[in-house]
Amino acid sequence: MAKVKFPKASQVDIMLLLEGTFPYVSGGVSSWVNQIVRGFPQWRFGAVFLGSQREDYEEFKYDLPDNLVHLEEHYLHGGQPKPVVTPCQGNPEGFDAIRRLHEWFLNHQQGILPEEMKSLAFYRDSPHGVDFIQFLHGERSWDFIAEKYRSRCTDPSFVDYFWTVRNMHTPVWQLAEIAANLIPARLYHTVSTGYAGFLGALLHHATGRTLLLSEHGIYTKERRIDILHNEWILDRRNPLQKDLTEVSYYRELWIRFFETLGRFCYDAAGTTISLFEGARQREIADGAPPERTRVIPNGIDLSRFSPLRRQRPAVPPPIIALLGRVVPIKDVKTFIRSLRILSSHIPDVQGWIVGPTDEAPHYAEECRRLAESLAVADRIFFKGFMDPRELFPQIGLLALTSISEGLPLVALEGYAAGIPLVATDVGSCRQLVEGVGEEDEALGHAGAVVPINNPQAVAEACLTLLSDQDVWQKAQAAAVARVERFYTQKRMFAEYRQLYEEGLAPWQA
Amino acid sequence: MAGIGFELRKLLRRDTFSGLMMAYAYAGVISSGPWVLSIVAVLIIGIFSVPVVIPPDLVRQFQTILTTIIAASLILSGLVQLSFTRYCADRIFKKEHGLLLPNLNGLLLLVTVVAAALAIPLVIVVFPGSSLILRLLIVACFVTVCNVWIGTILLSGLKAYKAILVNFLLGYGIALVLAWGLRHWDLEGLLLAFLVGQFVLFKGMLYVVFKGYPSRHFIQFDFLRAGRMYLSLVFTGFFYNIGIWIDKIVFWYHPWTSEPVIGLLRGSPIYDLPVFIAYLAIIPGMAVFLMRIETDFVEYYDRFYDAVREGGSLGYIHEMKDEMVRITREGIYDIMKIQGVVILLVVVAGGTLLQWAGISRIHLPLLQIQVVATGFQVVFLGLLNVFFYLDRRNRVLLLTGLFMTLNGLLSWLSIQLGPFFYGYGFAVSLVIAVSVGMVLLDRDLDRLEYETFMLQ
Repeated sequence: MAKVKFPKASQVDIMLLLEGTFPYVSGGVSSWVNQIVRGFPQWRFGAVFLGSQREDYEEFKYDLPDNLVHLEEHYLHGGQPKPVVTPCQGNPEGFDAIRRLHEWFLNHQQGILPEEMKSLAFYRDSPHGVDFIQFLHGERSWDFIAEKYRSRCTDPSFVDYFWTVRNMHTPVWQLAEIAANLIPARLYHTVSTGYAGFLGALLHHATGRTLLLSEHGIYTKERRIDILHNEWILDRRNPLQKDLTEVSYYRELWIRFFETLGRFCYDAAGTTISLFEGARQREIADGAPPERTRVIPNGIDLSRFSPLRRQRPAVPPPIIALLGRVVPIKDVKTFIRSLRILSSHIPDVQGWIVGPTDEAPHYAEECRRLAESLAVADRIFFKGFMDPRELFPQIGLLALTSISEGLPLVALEGYAAGIPLVATDVGSCRQLVEGVGEEDEALGHAGAVVPINNPQAVAEACLTLLSDQDVWQKAQAAAVARVERFYTQKRMFAEYRQLYEEGLAPWQA
Repeated sequence: MAGIGFELRKLLRRDTFSGLMMAYAYAGVISSGPWVLSIVAVLIIGIFSVPVVIPPDLVRQFQTILTTIIAASLILSGLVQLSFTRYCADRIFKKEHGLLLPNLNGLLLLVTVVAAALAIPLVIVVFPGSSLILRLLIVACFVTVCNVWIGTILLSGLKAYKAILVNFLLGYGIALVLAWGLRHWDLEGLLLAFLVGQFVLFKGMLYVVFKGYPSRHFIQFDFLRAGRMYLSLVFTGFFYNIGIWIDKIVFWYHPWTSEPVIGLLRGSPIYDLPVFIAYLAIIPGMAVFLMRIETDFVEYYDRFYDAVREGGSLGYIHEMKDEMVRITREGIYDIMKIQGVVILLVVVAGGTLLQWAGISRIHLPLLQIQVVATGFQVVFLGLLNVFFYLDRRNRVLLLTGLFMTLNGLLSWLSIQLGPFFYGYGFAVSLVIAVSVGMVLLDRDLDRLEYETFMLQ
């Protein structure tokens, strides 16, 4: 894709806040963003992309829609210029507010989010707030960190604690700066909690305009998985201090931090939208006020996929496709292992892994080696990127072995193209396969749900579907019926149009 | 070459009284070595020559010329003493040992050129009646002594205290022997003896560097590149050396307290002798101080920063800091105690001592206050050293600047107030500088953890 210039505008209708997704990363959330922007050509969109470091991202993975008139990018962990080192005391009121924030979070229901921390001035130039210099160099900041270390940290290394705290919180002040310099918008829409959600909350409090929060995965949950897998989080406990069942304190700290950001965002969001009921419950448990939550499932453009059904061979080919990025969260290894089991029952079975391998090259390499060591390398194909519309007519089943999912678009697209699904029992997968509510459940099973990390169960489910024509046909019928009734783009757009109109309305007069 | 702390600890590990005495003696000689040796040698050369070189005026001329050369060379080389030491320390830290020798050569060339360029016109003006040979000898001595200080600071930076000491002994030994042989040649002979001694001393130190730190390059000027030396250290070194000499200079050139000696050079018969004797009295304090800093303090200092870097708990970091505070406090107390004993001795027995040395008792009150002052100077040095360890360069700059200014002003004021106050300028300026230094150190140590972590 050619190098695209960043469009700039002086104001927009809807400002999207995107963390680590569109337009740099391909995947479910990014496609959804692309879909939404293109779905509402009547409004001018802007977008703020937040990333960790510039070098983590390559070029745009999407052509920018014409009505995306403003785009800016910010990197939160790249070596931004820091303010000049200035020793200072720090405002007692400001640190008092931060202390109350910590208590508010630690004691959950008790207390309220300190009002003053909602204002941008608190982070920038308030005589009672805590600006970046105070956070970095203030004596009160030091006292606070030392106090928290003494009372809470279970890891002996103070220097690690110090830098973890510092690196973790630094983006907060960067975000306040971004919020202060952002062009005006009439509505803010964040597609995750986390840093983007926090930015959205700051913008909402600063402008009084509505903030919408659409969560596809649960950010804090994904972060948790991310953090548990990450090597960069230090663990300096020596073997005697280390209890393997216990998460390192720093991992815990990161998780709590993101949970706090999440609460901040839930508190500010006018509507918190989730893709399925399970996700909504989780958000409520994480602090979203129930009356402001709502479920809007993803919807797809049926016309792009339903014609594919006619291209399918009469008998479903014994080809199972896993469509997704080759990353640990998709648990591609379980898919490969299940192929090993399947190959002894269906001699010509194939597993296609369709998705980019460049995001976690190490993991991709491990997957390749696993396929070799299980002697299934000749039936596992790493296809890289493929147009789903080209792919769907050639395969018999879609498999999702993920350990975490939201509401996977590929499953819906597969349904529309007439392909049943074998999926792990995560996110909305059970709902997609078995239906939710009487009307939905009556449509029947559109495949099978299996436990996570269980190659045997995946293999058995695939075997049942592929070896019995009748079962397969019924699953296909349920899949098509379900997607056409509940998961159309039309339905999703209608719901978002209503939310957007409500959010924009007070300002249109 | 092992650090001095290592050598001292080895002696202490014997855990015997003689081991302890050895350690203190070693520390004393090493810490005050070059400085004291210079004074002793100047005095001895003078005393040697007394029966031979007639009139005694000539001895006085010789001592005055030498003292002026030492003072001027210390002040001039003071510009680069600390800054170049730090430059070398940084190179060693970055394992760039190959840069040491060529840059030492570069610095020596620079110092030689500058020293000669300053000295040649000066000897023309300052010594109108003297022989050409004498003037040339003075220039040569000045340039060589400047180079000797550079060599000394480089070797102390490399912690090669033993090599410094050996070379000083050798150089001054040769100077003494030659002085005895050349004493009939009046001033020229004595200066030549001194020059040859200094030259041997200088070459001996160069030999140690050439042997220990070989390099493919002969000469480089890397230290002059922007950002390689700290400007604040250039000023600190300059202020410190001026500070140490300014009271003497005031007494040498104030008409009430000085008399002409040779050419335009003057001396202060009332002030000089007690001061130099008082400097000999700091040896015990210096020894104690070196022991404290280089063994105990450094140990906890290392542990503190290791804990900071390697992930110690905050409690442990606090503990090590507290130990540093304790050692610093004890070190200062110890200096005060031992110098207190020295002061008592001088108060009680000073008169007798002076008599033995054939010095008029008129010097006694001045000697007493000077011993107090030099005692404080040891404490002052101790404080500066702790600040250097903590890398508080601005503090050192402030303190040396303060000391220099006060010492100049108060010394002048003491002359205005009359003979009874002579020496109080030096002493009071040190008391003030030490007090300010202690307040600042107290504050810095109190905020050490905060500043270590938060000001980066």
